[in-house]
Amino acid sequence: MNTASRWLFALGLGLAVAGVTVDASTAEAQEVQVTGPLAGAPAVRKMRIYRDGRFQIQPEFGATLVDEFVRTMFVGAQIGYHFTDWLGIHAFFDYGVPLATDLTDQVTERGQRTDYNALSLPDPSKFRDQIGEMKFLTGVQATFIPLRGKLSLFQAAFVDTDFYLFGGVAFASVEERADVKNGSTVVGATCGPATFRDARADGQGRFNDVNDACITTQGQRSTRLAIAPTFGVGLSLYFTEYLAMTLEYRAFPFKWNTSGTDEGGLSKERERDTSGPFPDGSIDSSDRTSQFNQMFKLGFAFYLPFQGELTK
Amino acid sequence: MTKSRIVACLALALCMQVSANATAQDMSFDLEETESAGGKAEASKKGGKKGQAKVEAAADANAEATTDTATDTAAETEGAEEAGAEGGGSLIGDLAADDPAEAKEATEAGPKLSEVSEEIYAVQQVYALRNNRIELLPSFGFTLNDPFVTHANIGAGLNYWITNVLAVGANLNWYQGLEKESELNFHVRRSARLGTRPTEFQFGASLNMTYVPVYGKFSMFGRYIFQWDAYLMGGVGVMRTRPVPVVDPQIRSFDYSYKISILNPAIGLRVFLTKWLTVFAELRTFPYLEKLESLDVGLGETARADKKGWLDKDSTLVFNVVASVGLTVYFPFGFDYKLPK
Repeated sequence: MNTASRWLFALGLGLAVAGVTVDASTAEAQEVQVTGPLAGAPAVRKMRIYRDGRFQIQPEFGATLVDEFVRTMFVGAQIGYHFTDWLGIHAFFDYGVPLATDLTDQVTERGQRTDYNALSLPDPSKFRDQIGEMKFLTGVQATFIPLRGKLSLFQAAFVDTDFYLFGGVAFASVEERADVKNGSTVVGATCGPATFRDARADGQGRFNDVNDACITTQGQRSTRLAIAPTFGVGLSLYFTEYLAMTLEYRAFPFKWNTSGTDEGGLSKERERDTSGPFPDGSIDSSDRTSQFNQMFKLGFAFYLPFQGELTK
Repeated sequence: MTKSRIVACLALALCMQVSANATAQDMSFDLEETESAGGKAEASKKGGKKGQAKVEAAADANAEATTDTATDTAAETEGAEEAGAEGGGSLIGDLAADDPAEAKEATEAGPKLSEVSEEIYAVQQVYALRNNRIELLPSFGFTLNDPFVTHANIGAGLNYWITNVLAVGANLNWYQGLEKESELNFHVRRSARLGTRPTEFQFGASLNMTYVPVYGKFSMFGRYIFQWDAYLMGGVGVMRTRPVPVVDPQIRSFDYSYKISILNPAIGLRVFLTKWLTVFAELRTFPYLEKLESLDVGLGETARADKKGWLDKDSTLVFNVVASVGLTVYFPFGFDYKLPK
């Protein structure tokens, strides 16, 4: 998601939240303004307290959205404890299984290598080896549950629900293409536009050396732990006193090199491959681009102890 | 006179007995059940004494009424009720009292407690009826599944609710001028020498049917109650789109053209802020067949300029997944319930 869309998204979300907040303060119809015998009485009687003082263990499954080169399927678990019915703290761990997107397949099948992009794409058929992947995602978060209610499904089934917001810090284990320094030697040769061009002029033997150097860098990997804010919203549907299904949207934006290509450089004008300094001939942290990573999760939450309390 | 007194006493006793033996359906509440029962005993006692005195006054009036003719009895009874309403005797009357000092006292002491059952209903009215109302939906949206072009859009919709859960309507999403091409396209072209073929949208329009299978309410901090529902929507419409020329941009240019989008399934969530204003969030897919720019470029100026070769011969199925948030406004603002409470 680019900057403009992020701004628009934030604006939309802000307006929605502002709309709720502003209108709620003057929404007489929605406020419980009972002047009769129920004045001062709670909005809900005999409400089941699902969270207060209970632990939550939640196996969960997820999938990332709007992916460029890899869609990550997550399987994991979340545990938490609720201090009150509206506030809790959670920790989660999700193991990632990467799946190539259609764009990755297209680059693999149709990508072209020239002298200029020899470092970015040494061998199109091995493009899958160089793209970034998320191995796991873990973190801690505070969960805020402002809305509690129930819903009717086809006027037949009635299910308790709650709506929650959460925010915290996430740690993503990211496996990316390993750094390649400009001018560094790999297996006896240097991978770069100039060396490629010169090697081609020197003959097939020298060209093969440089080509091998480039292909070697393509498969080299490095892993790091990216720290990111994480936030989102979710909906719980309580099937029983101790079991709920959760639907959750989570965002965890951070910078990473999803393609394993050389995107960084000094020039911002981006003269199409005619300028010297751009790309910069290195694979490093400057090639990481901001990614608004987001995912959708489905979970099944078990609450312990199994029995909850009822309000008066 | 004696007979009529006996009859009055029996009627009063019967009424009290019926009230005391309220069944589960009556949902009568005991004083102990109210949350503010504890710590308000003194106020309750004061209110109780006052209420008792007023009940006695009302009983006297009733007793007097029984001594006269039937017509007079009715008139006197009405007077007695008025007396009761003005003077108190009931909690509602006390709360509605004009005396500021009394009101202040009541406020400071907390709500007065009384055993009243007639204000509580086993089945509450639906918060906002929608049947025969028109719904106007301004919205803002963006696509979720296109990493190449951010298709931001503004939208407007109109629904007519046939029943409380079923509506027919139409909507329009305008994209042109709001879209932005992602940097990913440039990166892929430069790094992989691969031309991604993005598509621009001008607008999408659809005729829709909406059904509300799920509804409920949320309590916020035990003070506010928000009604909400989830809805399903589907329909048929058009997308007006064109390819962005990237394969041979010097020669090729494309005009917008219509494509049929079918089903257009959507799921949404609507939260009522008032009886005529809601906020909603929606996820919708517009499937349609797109003609992408052809990867083949003809040899020679004449072949390059031949428009027949500019587009792929085969169509590509595109799912335009749009997430939207917006408001809905119902007209008319007010409505009448068909049935009383």
